[in-house]
Amino acid sequence: MSRSAGFAMLAVLAFIGAALIGPPETAAAKSSKKKKTTTAPVNFDKNLPVLGTKLSGLPDGPSKALADKACLECHSADMMWQQRLTEKQWTATVTKMVGWGSDVPDDKKGALIAYLVENFGPDNDKFQPVITRPVGR
Amino acid sequence: MKSDQRGNSGAGLTRRAFLSAAGAVALVPSIGLAATAAAPAIPVNRRRMIQMNGYAIDAETPLDALITYLTPNDLFFVRHHWNPMYPGAKTWALTVDGEVETPLQLTLADLKRMPKTTATCVLQCAGNGRSLHKPRVPGVQWKYGAVGNARWGGVRVADILKQAGLKATARHLHTFGWDKPPGKVPPFHRSIEMEKVLADAMVAYEMNGEPLHQLHGAPARLVVPGWAGDHWMKWLVRISPQVEPQKGFYMDVAYRYPNNPGEPGVAFKPEEMHPVTELFVKSNITQVPATARVGAPVLINGFAFSGAPDIGSVEVTDDDGATWKPAHLSSEHDPYAWRLWSFTYRPSAPGRVRLAARATDSRGSVQPKEAVWNQSGYLYNGWHAVEIEVSA
Repeated sequence: MSRSAGFAMLAVLAFIGAALIGPPETAAAKSSKKKKTTTAPVNFDKNLPVLGTKLSGLPDGPSKALADKACLECHSADMMWQQRLTEKQWTATVTKMVGWGSDVPDDKKGALIAYLVENFGPDNDKFQPVITRPVGR
Repeated sequence: MKSDQRGNSGAGLTRRAFLSAAGAVALVPSIGLAATAAAPAIPVNRRRMIQMNGYAIDAETPLDALITYLTPNDLFFVRHHWNPMYPGAKTWALTVDGEVETPLQLTLADLKRMPKTTATCVLQCAGNGRSLHKPRVPGVQWKYGAVGNARWGGVRVADILKQAGLKATARHLHTFGWDKPPGKVPPFHRSIEMEKVLADAMVAYEMNGEPLHQLHGAPARLVVPGWAGDHWMKWLVRISPQVEPQKGFYMDVAYRYPNNPGEPGVAFKPEEMHPVTELFVKSNITQVPATARVGAPVLINGFAFSGAPDIGSVEVTDDDGATWKPAHLSSEHDPYAWRLWSFTYRPSAPGRVRLAARATDSRGSVQPKEAVWNQSGYLYNGWHAVEIEVSA
């Protein structure tokens, strides 16, 4: 898959995620058609994003393009931002992921691990999880 | 990862599969109004989720929203291994094969015609609290909120297996979900000892009185009261009683817990561990004021649960465990459900006070100060502590 195709897939995934768990107005509208009941109150902050629609990117660096391609097909960058792993743990993780199909050329594996350790090493405290609407809202 | 390796998996969806998934969206109900009505005690500003992974979606509940006996469906934690590919309710069927006299294919309508059972119990992700393990371990860095308590409705697995004619040779129930892994990732397969299955496992199609939502495993999932969430197979499509336990990565390598405690940071070998099964006794503090005054009582709230059917007591300490005072347990309870608890604390001196809670379950197991470190970060259950600034 090309990089642009990868990002296109992410966009579609985000769209599907948003549609799957859809906004509350949709449920209220369906409900009113059937029963003509009053509109359900919005009992959450509508300014919050829908779960699965606000995605972070990976930090800049010489291996960012490779990490985008090798890691983000299966999970969002959140998964990496929250890790605080040693070089040994990142090496084991990358080895596992390559075994599972992640496309990392042998001669670039060391640089990728260095990028991960530099950004998501044991001292990493930069993860800020996205606060979202309730599930399905 | 090569595109031709992805097949029909969630992460590597083909264009056709994408369109199919998108087409299915119209059939997906949003989580309904009943969940809203069931949660009047949770203030609007606490009704939110903490997104741990944008895709595949993982989200935990803030502790200050886990204050009701039943966790509302729309505030219940969400866990996926891979990107979504959900079965359609109309075409879905549950296959029952293996050590049975008559293999079955049961539709959702078939299940709903069978005797219905309900159970209110805790569902906790095996990795809840992973981020609290020191040294850190890889995986979703859950803190406290990959847990909830819900009323599940469905059919006892024992009734399904009886209809299929369960053979006496069966010892382990192999379970299979509809989600398909990307690339060469091994499939998520589990097995459960037949004694536990026949005792109280359920194929659930309802959650808190509503049809199960896709994010929670619709059309049907397993409910295994008292056992960690990895056994509660979502999007369940096949159950198969067998003589031997299931094999594979998610049985032989992952979801395993040390037989004995070791040195934190030193990984255990697979043979030094056994599959995660029962939950450990655990309590969390959900509501506590940031400040207090000497002599003025303040109210602390929390929940406690275990792999045992009930909680015997919850205690609170303000001196790192030298002395403990009992909390009040709510009377609301079902087997393997959590107990809400409250504690009135009266500060005796100014300064920063550290309060910690511990639970003891109905079998006498006491929540430890420190959890047993393990390289996958499962079943964290160390004391939960909070701090209050006390002024004169």
